[in-house]
Amino acid sequence: MLEIKDLHAGFDGNEIIKGISLTIKKGEIHAVMGPNGSGKSTMAKILSGHPSYEAMGGEILFDGENLLEMDAEQRSLAGIFMGFQYPVEVPGVNNAEFLRMAHNARRVKAGEEEIDPLDFDDLLSEKMKTLGMEKKYKERNLNDGFSGGEKKKNEILQMAILEPKLSILDETDSGLDIDALRVVSEGVNKLRNENNALILITHYQRLLDYIKPDYVHVLSDGKIVKSGDKSLALELESQGYDWVTTAN
Amino acid sequence: MSDTLVESSAESAFLDLHKKLIEQGSPALAELQQAALNRFELLGFPHSKHEMYTYLNTKELVETAFGLSDGSKKVSEDFVAGHIYPGCESQCLVFVDGILNRNLSRLEGVSANLVPLSEAVSDQELKKYLLETIEDENDVFAALSTAFCGEGLVFKVGDNTQISGPVQVLFVSTGGSPVMHAPRIVWQLGKLSEVKVIEKFVGVEGGYFINAVQDWLLAEGAGVAFTQVQADVSDSWHFSKTRVHLHRNSRFHSSNASFGTQLARHHYDVRLKEEGSELRLNGVSVLDDKEQVHNFIRIHHEAPQCISHQHFKNIINGHARSSFDGTVIVNQGAQLTSSDQLINNLMLSNDCHADNKPNLMIFADDVKCTHGATIGQIDEEQWFYLQTRGLSARVAKELLTRSFAKSIIETIEFPEVVKDLNGTLLKKLEVRND
Repeated sequence: MLEIKDLHAGFDGNEIIKGISLTIKKGEIHAVMGPNGSGKSTMAKILSGHPSYEAMGGEILFDGENLLEMDAEQRSLAGIFMGFQYPVEVPGVNNAEFLRMAHNARRVKAGEEEIDPLDFDDLLSEKMKTLGMEKKYKERNLNDGFSGGEKKKNEILQMAILEPKLSILDETDSGLDIDALRVVSEGVNKLRNENNALILITHYQRLLDYIKPDYVHVLSDGKIVKSGDKSLALELESQGYDWVTTAN
Repeated sequence: MSDTLVESSAESAFLDLHKKLIEQGSPALAELQQAALNRFELLGFPHSKHEMYTYLNTKELVETAFGLSDGSKKVSEDFVAGHIYPGCESQCLVFVDGILNRNLSRLEGVSANLVPLSEAVSDQELKKYLLETIEDENDVFAALSTAFCGEGLVFKVGDNTQISGPVQVLFVSTGGSPVMHAPRIVWQLGKLSEVKVIEKFVGVEGGYFINAVQDWLLAEGAGVAFTQVQADVSDSWHFSKTRVHLHRNSRFHSSNASFGTQLARHHYDVRLKEEGSELRLNGVSVLDDKEQVHNFIRIHHEAPQCISHQHFKNIINGHARSSFDGTVIVNQGAQLTSSDQLINNLMLSNDCHADNKPNLMIFADDVKCTHGATIGQIDEEQWFYLQTRGLSARVAKELLTRSFAKSIIETIEFPEVVKDLNGTLLKKLEVRND
């Protein structure tokens, strides 16, 4: 599904990602871990198409297409979802209305008709129920005045509505208390199936207690320095990142 | 206010025009018109450094050779009907080129006393008020408006009278040639009376100069919900002065939505004269090409325990310009005043321009006053965020600009006006957002 080949990337001419190769197949969950400043967020930004970040070498193929040539909108419509570490507040844009516009953009791309507002409301209510979200989230403006936990739940709600092929969740666990983490994780797990894939970018191991990864990669100074299965995350938790980063 | 430059030829053109007006006008109004003309002569047209006109250039306006309109030009009923909001059909006043047209108006539902200004000035108290406002007038265009006011209207609402449903006032300018007209309405609201008013300014063809003055005199406990839609032809001049006097516990809530013209200016002069009175003054403008909207506001807190809120937003594209010059004056003794003033500008092009001058003058020592202004562009992170959800750059930008205007448009109490603005004013945002 996703092939990253010797990717070099950064912003303002500073190279932060210094040669990453990674292949993700459908049905898989990959966790990318690493200390602060290792390049995790840059990797998320470059995958989502943030205009301030540039690829300086290598390539990324998504379903065989050159991802780096697509803008953020095209990536979304192709089936990539980015769950932001800090979801942006957009005052004045109604949450439910925005979700319907996003859902419709994808339907139109797929050659389907736009969804009837009432049918969408039913769909939204159902998805919100599975995420344990209160109805008030429909009426509120997009992330406006939401707490950290509410914002992250709202990201997962968007993921549920858009049903992406590949989701990249950037530090989705940061700022969440344990109850909110459980709810968000359960929401993510419900959306999993054998046809989609997930990249979890995280600093802490505890998210991986709830969402079990198939592979764990450790990023340090812009490179993957170690890959393994989920037991690698437990080792990192007990021994710290120095154990991997200094060994390389 | 003495720093005026006498553009003798420009002013004498208006003086000549005034002679014609006096010949054909109502003798009952002649005294008012003459007093205002004297005031106009004294003030003179402003030069560019004039305090009231720092941010706008009136040169082309004052040098245009205007004619007078007598309100006799025909406007089709269909044109009028197209601008009357649903629900206002039985309560609408239609002014054509500044004169109330009784054939096009529908007054049967209006439970108020509508008196032509020429008759109303026989009320010595009203006449005294009008003459005093002329004497105190520092805005030369407002003085010019009174000097040229046609058959204006006094809209009297009796004590304890609540007018059900909104009353619409439609100002139609026929245009087509440089014609000046000066509609005048005095709204007199009795104790504990209430009225909801929607005003809309439209034009058939461009070239005209509408220079309107309105007075809102609210007695104790009166309440007004006022919405103005300035939707003139862009090739026109629109000047308006809104004078508001608020007595004990009265409320004046106003929202203005402006499309802009080659030069549009709104002047508000509000006096919170007695305890417990409340003012809300909101405005939104969406400007493109060379359109302009300028707001000049003076709020006088003259009594304790009064509240004033101001929030203005401008969305500016192309070579458009806007300005906001607003001062809140809290008099000595106006303790426990609560006042806020905020101006937000969203700039969509490299060539647009906004000037802002929020100002506070406080002479009391126990008050809460805030003011501020922002000038910004589309937030790149918000824009990117929406695009990561599959919205095109164009749609995402439009959604953000619409959301910027929304907080003001939502304060408009009339759903039909909101619907109209969503489909017209905010539609202007769709054209150039690529």
